[in-house]
Amino acid sequence: MNKEVAVIGYAQTLYEEDADASREMLTLRAAREALVSAGLKREDVSTVVTATNDYLDGRTISNMRTVEPSGASQKDESKVEMDGAFAALYAIMRILSGFHDVAMVIGVSLASVYATYLPGIMILDPTWDRERGLLNEVSAAALQANCYMREYGVSDEQIASVSAKNLDNAARNPLALRQMPGLSVEQVLDSRMLYSPIRELNAWPATDGACAVVLASGKTAAKAEKPVWVKGVGLCHDSYLTERPLAVMESLKLAAEACYKQAGITDPASQIDLAEIHENFAHEELMAYEALGFCEEGKGGELIESGITQIDGGLPVNASGGALGANAVCATGLARIAEAAMQVVGEAGDHQVPGVKTALAHGQSGPCAQDNVVFILGGD
Amino acid sequence: MRDVAVVGVGLSKHVSKRRDVNIAELVWEAVSAAYEDAGLTPGEVDGVITGNMPAFEGVNLPECWGAGHWGTYRKPLLRITTGGTTGGSVGHGAFYAVASGLFDTVIAIAFEKQSDGDSTAGLNTVILADIAALLGFGVDPSLLLAFGGGAVGIAVYQASSYMKSSGCTTHHLDKVSVLCRTNAAKNPHAHLQQPGLTPDDVAKTDLMQYPLRFGHVCPASDGACAMILTTGERARKLTDRPAYIRSVASCSDEGALIGIGGSGTLNVDPGRQESCKLAAARAYEHAGIKDPRNEIDLAEPYAPFAHQLLMFYERLLLCDEGEAPAVLNSGSMEMAGELPVCPSGGVISTNAIGASALERIAEAAMQIMGRAGEHQVQKDVHKAVAHGWGGMVNLNVVAVLADTPRG
Amino acid sequence: MEYKEETTSIQGTWPLEQWRWKHETSVLAKKFLEALKDKKIIGLKCPGCGLVYVPPKPYCRCLSIPDEWVEVKDTAVITTYTFTGSWSFGGRLEGTGAPLVIAGVMYDGSDTQTLAILDGVDPDDVAVGKRTRVKWPENPQGGINDIMHSELI
Ligand SMILES: [Zn+2]
Repeated sequence: MNKEVAVIGYAQTLYEEDADASREMLTLRAAREALVSAGLKREDVSTVVTATNDYLDGRTISNMRTVEPSGASQKDESKVEMDGAFAALYAIMRILSGFHDVAMVIGVSLASVYATYLPGIMILDPTWDRERGLLNEVSAAALQANCYMREYGVSDEQIASVSAKNLDNAARNPLALRQMPGLSVEQVLDSRMLYSPIRELNAWPATDGACAVVLASGKTAAKAEKPVWVKGVGLCHDSYLTERPLAVMESLKLAAEACYKQAGITDPASQIDLAEIHENFAHEELMAYEALGFCEEGKGGELIESGITQIDGGLPVNASGGALGANAVCATGLARIAEAAMQVVGEAGDHQVPGVKTALAHGQSGPCAQDNVVFILGGD
Repeated sequence: MRDVAVVGVGLSKHVSKRRDVNIAELVWEAVSAAYEDAGLTPGEVDGVITGNMPAFEGVNLPECWGAGHWGTYRKPLLRITTGGTTGGSVGHGAFYAVASGLFDTVIAIAFEKQSDGDSTAGLNTVILADIAALLGFGVDPSLLLAFGGGAVGIAVYQASSYMKSSGCTTHHLDKVSVLCRTNAAKNPHAHLQQPGLTPDDVAKTDLMQYPLRFGHVCPASDGACAMILTTGERARKLTDRPAYIRSVASCSDEGALIGIGGSGTLNVDPGRQESCKLAAARAYEHAGIKDPRNEIDLAEPYAPFAHQLLMFYERLLLCDEGEAPAVLNSGSMEMAGELPVCPSGGVISTNAIGASALERIAEAAMQIMGRAGEHQVQKDVHKAVAHGWGGMVNLNVVAVLADTPRG
Repeated sequence: MEYKEETTSIQGTWPLEQWRWKHETSVLAKKFLEALKDKKIIGLKCPGCGLVYVPPKPYCRCLSIPDEWVEVKDTAVITTYTFTGSWSFGGRLEGTGAPLVIAGVMYDGSDTQTLAILDGVDPDDVAVGKRTRVKWPENPQGGINDIMHSELI
């Protein structure tokens, strides 16, 4: 894509364990700040795409009461019931169609209102899996992690080093929930076991929060102060977790291929300056390295060991702390887009990586990263 | 912008309880019919847009385990859900997917298997969260159900205010039910088929809550709808008469549960439906339609309650406000009339909620393509409008279809 | 409809009680309900667009935060109505057997509406546009039930 759509504004709320605010107020805060960031008014926005989930919010038609706080009153509004990164893709479609000029995308949820893993259990096949109580998001991820580790000989230490890296990075991100400066691999391996091999610090923290991103057409974005252009997008859905090999993220690979083709990326490891990966669990980041072509299949563990993906490495991954640092479901993938854009603009403060020109953002949805979406963003 | 056209439509059989199939199988009925109608195979589709109202079946993200049955293996997929308008929003999503240039051929899939869950419980979860707020205000919970429980609770207020503003009487409501249910008798996919129904029959059904009787209200259906959209160029290779989607528009207003959120609402008149008028005006403008009253040949408004067929006919700018009851009396809305309304039987005859608004677009497309079979209207349909309504009485989606592209 | 084969159902559960919801109304509600004790109805005015919300609402469609308390009247206009006998969607109403008339009312000075029961009113006498006044209890308790009942004027 050549200067057809750009991110022109973004905002995230503080990520908290138990926010003293409702979903609506978090939405309002994110929307207002994103408009300020974009230098626009509510009137300038023609379409709003929200990302919420009826089960996370405990209400049918979860987008109903977010109409006013998202600024969507009497506008063309829709809801993607997936992560906000998918909502961003829908907003991009809406702009590319020529029907809309400026789109507001908002993802929000409060883990403090739902029994943490219950919405994930409600996703499972109701005939065979749900009522048996064996599977939930964490146990499913544990099956995936073991499958991946055994297939490629990835060690617990290599996976723990993802947590150590991201939670240390999170300490530089004032909005992140789980900030653990100087966290060591040993400390991660000492954290509470949830489902083997997944420990507490390998899993996302239950989080309240919202993220908003403003996207605009090429014409409008060209007038913006700091447009971050969308160079490519890719999307793919995989089979249900019991019906596919879990050791590889095939749908992420396909999504990345489609995205890279649009963005003209042939050698991702050298062409991409920074990546924000939606890793609900530490091992998923290693699997994503492989699917995104940062290294060869099965070499994710070696890549993290090389230090390249550290914040001061050649290809920093999750300088923000990633989903391990804060994971307000439905906002997380969208926050990766916001963070990637922030890095390109150079506004990331303490976790800014110097000289980011091309950044990758990834979002996922469904158990064991069933759905994946990939974006390449760039400054010019 | 690229031209976007419908090249295939599929509907499942709709009844109260499809005990013979599960959700995924029910959807496959519609999906396979759509592929057959379009003359395509699943491999030739490069994207999927799907949605339903998940609380009605008690399942979250059902495509996670269901989509494998729909020929969507490792395809791009977006789940779009917006309550009663879900099907319409799915259709719009499919439109944008092709119009954006990111996808060439996509399938829109929307469904509801209401018998799998408890729809009243599902609907009540619409307001459960708000009830939690209301209790903070010290409201007597025993009165809540009377105030706003279920969709009927909202619709009666809307019906009252619409009837006041338009002069519509309960007799008109009876006639709307007759119009739709007798049309439904010609549609093999419709749920409530009542050939020979008379207004007197409807007037004799029990009063549900003033002004609506059981005969004025939709059934709860199990059903699915699928629609295949592609570029104008490819459509012309696939069929002589594709149904072009010229434009889509939606509009969200505030929740109109009449203050039941304990928070007040500005949507003081649920019968006004300003957002429908705005969506319609935007859609007509994008579609290049200047005079909808004369240019539109057929309308599929989303009307699960009898008064809504008239109300939305007006809000879709097809006549002046308050005029629809007279238009109904004139016979123009009938299948052989000047501007047939809901020849499919409409939502009042068939309501698999998540699918219903997609079915409105699909039915309009079938009429343009001349594929509606026994319920094909007499006149040539060149331009049609399809509508969806939902949320807390506050969401409206509109699509304009035609036998020629926008030009 | 005929089924070709026997079908099987598997029972599922949905523990809705495990969800809780957060609302900003608690602080606002307190002030609103306190005022009811003095037979006063107050609302929140939006600084952005001037709309007055009754009951108070923490956010406005214009993306501003309503923050100015204003008093509105206890007289109102009917915006819509319904009535019901002993039966209502989702449950049976216990009561006198007389029709329960419920109206959407917009208090004078407010831009939003809420619901009220019209006591002892014949359904035939109710109409959109007619005016009502709150029937205050002798000793308001500071709950929204204090303004649950209105009469036609
Ligand atoms: Zn305002």
